[in-house]
Amino acid sequence: MARTIRWPLVARRFHKWLALLVGVQVVLWTLTGFYMVVVHIDTIHGDHLVRAASARAVDLRGIAPPSRILAARADVSELRLQHHLDRPVWRAETPDGAALFDARSGQPLPRPTEADIRALARRAYAGTGDIVSVRLLTRAPQEMQARKPPFWQVEFAGWNRPTFYLSPATGELISRRHNLWRIFDFAWMLHIMDYDARTDVNNPLLRVATWSAFAMAASGAWLLIWAFPRRKKKKKKEEAAI
Amino acid sequence: MKRIRLSPLLFRRIHKWVGLILGIQFLLWALSGSMMALLDKDAVGGHDMPAEHALPLPTQTSLIAPAALSASAPISGLALRTLAGRPVYELRTANGIRIVDAIDGRPLTIDATMARAVAASANQAPVRQVERLAKPNLEAREHKGAMWRVDFADAANSSAYVAADTGRLLVMRGDTWRMWDFFWMLHNMDYVSRASFNHPLIIVVAFGVLWLSGTGFYLLFKSFNRVDFRWLRRRRRVVAKPVG
Repeated sequence: MARTIRWPLVARRFHKWLALLVGVQVVLWTLTGFYMVVVHIDTIHGDHLVRAASARAVDLRGIAPPSRILAARADVSELRLQHHLDRPVWRAETPDGAALFDARSGQPLPRPTEADIRALARRAYAGTGDIVSVRLLTRAPQEMQARKPPFWQVEFAGWNRPTFYLSPATGELISRRHNLWRIFDFAWMLHIMDYDARTDVNNPLLRVATWSAFAMAASGAWLLIWAFPRRKKKKKKEEAAI
Repeated sequence: MKRIRLSPLLFRRIHKWVGLILGIQFLLWALSGSMMALLDKDAVGGHDMPAEHALPLPTQTSLIAPAALSASAPISGLALRTLAGRPVYELRTANGIRIVDAIDGRPLTIDATMARAVAASANQAPVRQVERLAKPNLEAREHKGAMWRVDFADAANSSAYVAADTGRLLVMRGDTWRMWDFFWMLHNMDYVSRASFNHPLIIVVAFGVLWLSGTGFYLLFKSFNRVDFRWLRRRRRVVAKPVG
């Protein structure tokens, strides 16, 4: 026997069962998405925590020739003249990371001490809070993601727990973190459904959930056809019937 | 006037009306999100451009000393690096950036040939065309200033962008990135510059869609009854029945 298909019922069933499947995740997507659009990304990146370094004139007289450093280290891809605690240095970029050399003598600089790290962090920090703790980490915390340790962790006082990470080799700022960033990262984890590394935007769970949500949204749009009954037409029909 | 009652009917009405007005954007978010999850992130690339293969600086060649570098304006920065395989000094002055050959002190300009050589260090495919851009286009929007665009004749239709002042490789884009970027535009609703997801339009729509998902979640509890789950119980009964 041929049964007439009741399309509104089909669409409604589709919509509600898909919603049962991904409803919780859709709520999480809209909530985390809302957080991400409301808090400006520059704030999340912590631009306001860092004081812009002022460009200083460089005096090239008395600077050690780069060939002296290149003779000491063979794998340097770039040498940059910089200031490190008010002294000119050559910063050498190598496959194993960066290293500093005294720009006058060409000799390698000793690694910054904890006192140096404190001073460097203090200079870079644009806020007013005091340093709460300074630690040399050999294991990367979650918030440093794929960055390779070791690094110095400098925490400042403040409601959003601003934290700087500095390189043990050069003392330069690698990352800055604060509570709004940490919330963003958590929201991002929920948004892309990668609960381990928080970086894989191609994971199968996300793919299944996103297409299910798309099907749910499409069936919802389909339902809209019958969601707003046209009263005027009905009236006309009724009038005709009379 | 009728009193508004907190009833499933009210939530259903909110759900319907928000769905009617903002549903299309929710659908586009779901579609663009699905597509971005589908496009392989390694093929999309471009986010953290691993700069040109960092070639080591020569250790045997004698380079001119920094003190011998002449500059018309005070120097605010100096770097020794490689440019298309040769060691160069990059000088920053108030008048801009100058590139000087570190072996003979000759000033260098980043012309089309140089840009092509820099781009070739990251892609071996034949070059289709080289074009100078006075301003960054959408594909190189994260960078500033004039640049060269080097198009390759490869499967991905890759384009390398090379800074016109420093000659550094800025970014490489391909067709997968281009498709990804279209869906990213749909997702961030910044249809002109595609860069920001913190503009008023998206904030307002996202706030509205919170009502769509919130009422929808509530309605889940009102839309199912025991009859809907009868199939589960039936199956259990079948399983429980002894065979034969």
